[in-house]
Amino acid sequence: MEHAVEVREVSKMFKLYHENVRSLKEKVLFFRKRGYEEFWALRDIDLDVEKGETLGIIGANGSGKSTLLKCMTRIIYPTSGKIMTDGSIAALLELGAGFQPDLTGRENVYLNASILGFSRKEVDGKFDEIVAFAELERFIDNYVRNYSSGMYIRLGFAVAISVDPEILIVDEVLAVGDEAFQRKCLDKIDEFRDSGKTIIFVTHNVDVTREICDRVIMLEEGRIVRDGIPKEVVNHYHQVMETEEEASEQGNRKIEITEVRLLNDRGEETNDFYTGSSMKVRVCYEAREPIVDPVFGFSLDDYRGFTAFGTNTALKGLEMGTVAGDGVVEFDLKSLPMLEGRYLVSVAAHSRDEQTVYHWQDKLYQFEMKSDIDDVGLLYIPCEVKTGPQAG
Amino acid sequence: MIERLKDLWAHRELLWNMTVKELKVKYKRSVLGFAWSFMTPLVMLLVFSIVFSILARGGDVQWYAVFLMSGLLPWLFFVNSLMQSVGSIVANPGLVKKVYFPREILPIAAVGANIFHFVLQMLVFFVFMLLIRWHFSPWLLLMPFILILQVVLTLGLALLVSAANVYLRDVQHFVEVALTALFWLSPIVYPVGLVASQFPKFMPLYLVNPMTNIVLLWEYAIYNPHHYGPQVAYISFWGILITVVFSIVTLVGGYYVFARIERGFAEQI
Repeated sequence: MEHAVEVREVSKMFKLYHENVRSLKEKVLFFRKRGYEEFWALRDIDLDVEKGETLGIIGANGSGKSTLLKCMTRIIYPTSGKIMTDGSIAALLELGAGFQPDLTGRENVYLNASILGFSRKEVDGKFDEIVAFAELERFIDNYVRNYSSGMYIRLGFAVAISVDPEILIVDEVLAVGDEAFQRKCLDKIDEFRDSGKTIIFVTHNVDVTREICDRVIMLEEGRIVRDGIPKEVVNHYHQVMETEEEASEQGNRKIEITEVRLLNDRGEETNDFYTGSSMKVRVCYEAREPIVDPVFGFSLDDYRGFTAFGTNTALKGLEMGTVAGDGVVEFDLKSLPMLEGRYLVSVAAHSRDEQTVYHWQDKLYQFEMKSDIDDVGLLYIPCEVKTGPQAG
Repeated sequence: MIERLKDLWAHRELLWNMTVKELKVKYKRSVLGFAWSFMTPLVMLLVFSIVFSILARGGDVQWYAVFLMSGLLPWLFFVNSLMQSVGSIVANPGLVKKVYFPREILPIAAVGANIFHFVLQMLVFFVFMLLIRWHFSPWLLLMPFILILQVVLTLGLALLVSAANVYLRDVQHFVEVALTALFWLSPIVYPVGLVASQFPKFMPLYLVNPMTNIVLLWEYAIYNPHHYGPQVAYISFWGILITVVFSIVTLVGGYYVFARIERGFAEQI
């Protein structure tokens, strides 16, 4: 097989029963009446994971991340489609799964390793290493029931990571333990990656994926909506999460903003702009009654809520007079200095003293900055570099 | 099916470890520990000896204790295996939902742990018989065959009920009730001769029960009826043949059913 994991048109449907009916009496009584809803956790997923690749999977809660991992590890099976894997797999869906409280740490190491598919012989050679990694030298012969939750997690991770699979599948397990131990785990995963192993990684801490993944996919309602280099996918993720939370409208609507258009150099409406290009923000409004001296404004925020730029008619020294009926305000931005990223546009109409808000559309519109420039940061600042011997 | 068996074979070390775990965990926090596995048969021996000596006014069965044990120990092996395996999958959601491994390991390990208990109990039983200078019959050599037959039957049923119980929790209650009934329908506490003489018409029906035939085989091999009491002996060729066929069909069928519905386990529990 060419790839480490091949996912072909995989869909997974869960039946959400309205009531969990499990006894015979109820089954007979509710025969055929038992209603359920179909919930498609995965829809038509196609995915190839290269050998030696570190793949991150991100997405909101319920987007299907864990379901996909569980399908890959044969814990559950897809409703349709096929998953093929090449090479031994260790899945860390839960640390210390199967730990027996009434056995000692030592006994649990062997039991847990064999649950993960590794033999006594393999563990023998690594036992000291496992115990050292978990920092449990003094407690390894104590019962696991007496362990703190941190010790439990450390031992679970140490066992799982010490086994030597070709494919490592990790689900959200790094969210535990103190910072030092998390660091240690990430280092271990790095080591793993450097030795050419395939790693598939689910996490809510998307910044971690930026650090350790070669490639990230983002799931939304069971579909892959983004697939690419970590930076871009993670940016998109942040934007989606932010937009969902923040977009809002308020105001008394005496002036209603009826339409907002983002226009490029050629006057075409678009959502993609390039560093250095111009942008027109065209705001169409309708005043329901004559309004004296309103102020129109707009702002551009990035996904972190950082305002890149904002202005309004008052700041520009414009007097609108009394407005009634339909009208247009156009903000002409000569040159956009921002580098790559998604920006949110807010538009507002309010009174000059800002006491009355007529209509405020907060972060309702968005556009994407694109750039061929390799420099990093938020903004592009023209920069020339000169080199030479030190003066003096 | 071949694939499954290969997979199971690849996980044989896990199977062994899970079996050992069952044994270790069971008596871990008790003072008497392993001694408890001898308690049930000993208490039952005491109670049934008294009750049977009153009911049968003694004399009917020579060495009632040996007769009882020769059927009771295999029976307890059967009951404990099924009672522990029926809930073995639903009792381990942490494993089934989070780790891949052949799920049949759970019920098989439950049976495996009970094989160990059974062999241990048998050894103690045989030491006792040696002390009382028991006259063993050459049929004793049949014991490995009988054990294999019983394990085949038990494994088949264990796979079947443990899988069914995931979808229908009534199964574990049903198994409990059915086993209680079967206990009195098998010639464990009373000799089979009692049924043959009192209800001769029911004998064919009585011998349909595969555990009856297996218990009869154990009694035949261990108790040595030709020396101690022929009323204990009733070996029918057809009974044994039916039992052998039934056991094999149960194992193959049970494993087949298990394999068919095993994919849904992680979603159902």
